[in-house]
Amino acid sequence: MDDKDREIVRLLQTGFPIVPEPFKALGDKLWIDEMAVISRLARLLQKGVIRHLGPFFSGTHLGYSGVLAAMDVEPKKIAQVTEVLSKKSGITHNYLRDGSPNVWFTVIAKNETCLKSLLSSIEKETGIKDVQLFPAKRLFKVRVDLE
Amino acid sequence: MEKKDILLIKELQEGIKLEKRPFLRIAKVVGCSESDVIAKIKAWLTSGTIRRVGVSVKPEASGYICNALAAWQVPEEQIEEVGNGIAEMPEVSHCYERETPKDWPYNLFTMIHAKTQQELDSIISTIKKKFALTNCRIMKTLKELKKTSMKYFNEGENDL
Repeated sequence: MDDKDREIVRLLQTGFPIVPEPFKALGDKLWIDEMAVISRLARLLQKGVIRHLGPFFSGTHLGYSGVLAAMDVEPKKIAQVTEVLSKKSGITHNYLRDGSPNVWFTVIAKNETCLKSLLSSIEKETGIKDVQLFPAKRLFKVRVDLE
Repeated sequence: MEKKDILLIKELQEGIKLEKRPFLRIAKVVGCSESDVIAKIKAWLTSGTIRRVGVSVKPEASGYICNALAAWQVPEEQIEEVGNGIAEMPEVSHCYERETPKDWPYNLFTMIHAKTQQELDSIISTIKKKFALTNCRIMKTLKELKKTSMKYFNEGENDL
């Protein structure tokens, strides 16, 4: 990643130009041509530095329900639990953290009923009964460029 | 939501392709004009349906290898001030007040990103001092087990 790459990434955190030729517009700001912008972005995406380029939708605005959940998993069961959670499309984030509970994940579903059944299927498939829920009450900040 | 809008969302969430006229390609798939796509994205940005158009970066790739979920016990009457105050910090990516289970007193959840343990410790002590907070749980990220973006309106979603 060189300085120009960093400049591209920084610029794209504030916003992708919503115009017919967005890469040309970006190039004009960066003093490089359109093709150079495209090839740099291709490399950053391929290397995994950039995970996603595009719009980030707000689930709540689309009518979806979501919750932060946590459970305590003993070390030898972590691989099995991870596998269960990895297969479910409604689980978008899952992290192993220190302390107890140690497995923290986000659950998204198209409505509350689906959310409940997704959670109960997780309890059933992992054998872990006490999944703790932390529903959002108020949002102060979400910055999706770094997560 | 209209059928055409759903189609557009499904197409957009696959990401913007690296080509001269990415919105034109999307318009052709959805069956509308390029300017319709552009207008819709702008309208969704205004309404908050789209939070942002841009990139997401892997924190580790930019050197943020020391990350923690920090949950703070904040009295309800201070939550507004503390929540907004912490939200202003660039090292904090997420800040939410959450409902909590009975035995969990930490109601303000923040995600903190740092490059070293020392840096993380100093961010945490800054928050403690600045907002006079004493009770917290710091849960360091040991491993990312899954990280994807939600695909809305997908067939077979939430198949159990």
